[in-house]
Amino acid sequence: MKNSQLYKGSLTTIVMTLLGENGRMYGYEITQKVKEITKGELKITEGALYPALHKLEAEGVLEVEIENVDNRLRKYYKLTEKGTTETVNRLAELEDFIRNMQALVQPKLDTI
Amino acid sequence: MKVTAEQIEKLYVFTRQHYVEYYDLQTELVDHLANAIEEQWETNPKLTFEEALQIEFKKFGVFGFMDVVDKRKGALSSKYNKLVWNELKTFFRLPKIIGTLAAIGIVFYLLKFLQQDVLIVQMTFVVLAVSFFVGIFWLSRKNKKNHKKTGKKWLLKEIIFGYGSFTGLMNLPIQIALHIKGENYNDWALLLVSFLLIIMALGEYIVLVLIPSKAEEYLRETYPEYELIENM
Repeated sequence: MKNSQLYKGSLTTIVMTLLGENGRMYGYEITQKVKEITKGELKITEGALYPALHKLEAEGVLEVEIENVDNRLRKYYKLTEKGTTETVNRLAELEDFIRNMQALVQPKLDTI
Repeated sequence: MKVTAEQIEKLYVFTRQHYVEYYDLQTELVDHLANAIEEQWETNPKLTFEEALQIEFKKFGVFGFMDVVDKRKGALSSKYNKLVWNELKTFFRLPKIIGTLAAIGIVFYLLKFLQQDVLIVQMTFVVLAVSFFVGIFWLSRKNKKNHKKTGKKWLLKEIIFGYGSFTGLMNLPIQIALHIKGENYNDWALLLVSFLLIIMALGEYIVLVLIPSKAEEYLRETYPEYELIENM
């Protein structure tokens, strides 16, 4: 993942927001969607995505559905009711973070 | 170009070779690899299945699938602990709490009258600990037989029927048993010991009887594919 340290803390929020917008998605689809939206700038690694999905699932934020697609079983994730509320909270938190970071960094950028 | 059914089988074998024992995780990784391989074929149709697979596998890093497996274990273990904790809590709510308090009271009086006969008290702790290990052994044997029949391992099932993370806790009754001496303890100490004994007995009952009896329900809830596969 590009600049992974900066993005790391936001992975679950990214995943939850995507699921909120798209309904249900499967793992590979999420990696592709992020790549598409960020025009390839942000690549979620498999090694980070699945653990994050499994953790959210165990916490009851996500639930799963299984479907048989092209000779194989596909596991779809979607937000639970709890997950939908949680997404709103996390997004608000992330927006605060972005605003604060901008306030902290912007003046310095202006002086350069 | 699509990945064929035969190649899907190969992918299952590949995940097994790379230390993914559990069918639930295998399935998810197989679908991921298959999608990624198909995506590669779109840009480069000349790639063979094996070449495309190797390229994708490399993306998982030097430890391969190990990290994913470990984290999945962690996530499901904490889910299991939560199940045990929730069950335990019901014994401290009405109506069950009446029984729980009564049991603590009975044990308290028994201890008060029997504390001179230290051996009886010690034996109670030892019996609790031993029955736990016997129970775990019996459960995991049952699960192994079942696994042989279906050929598939499910991570949550392994946790429920096997290495209950409470095994380590069983050291506690043994330690208590060893430290009890034939002298008069005050009522508070006896009450504490009674409380611990009942908690332990409840824990055993939940881990060995209650949760395994509801296992099918938990497994179906965690794995929508469980019913599909086990009845195949």
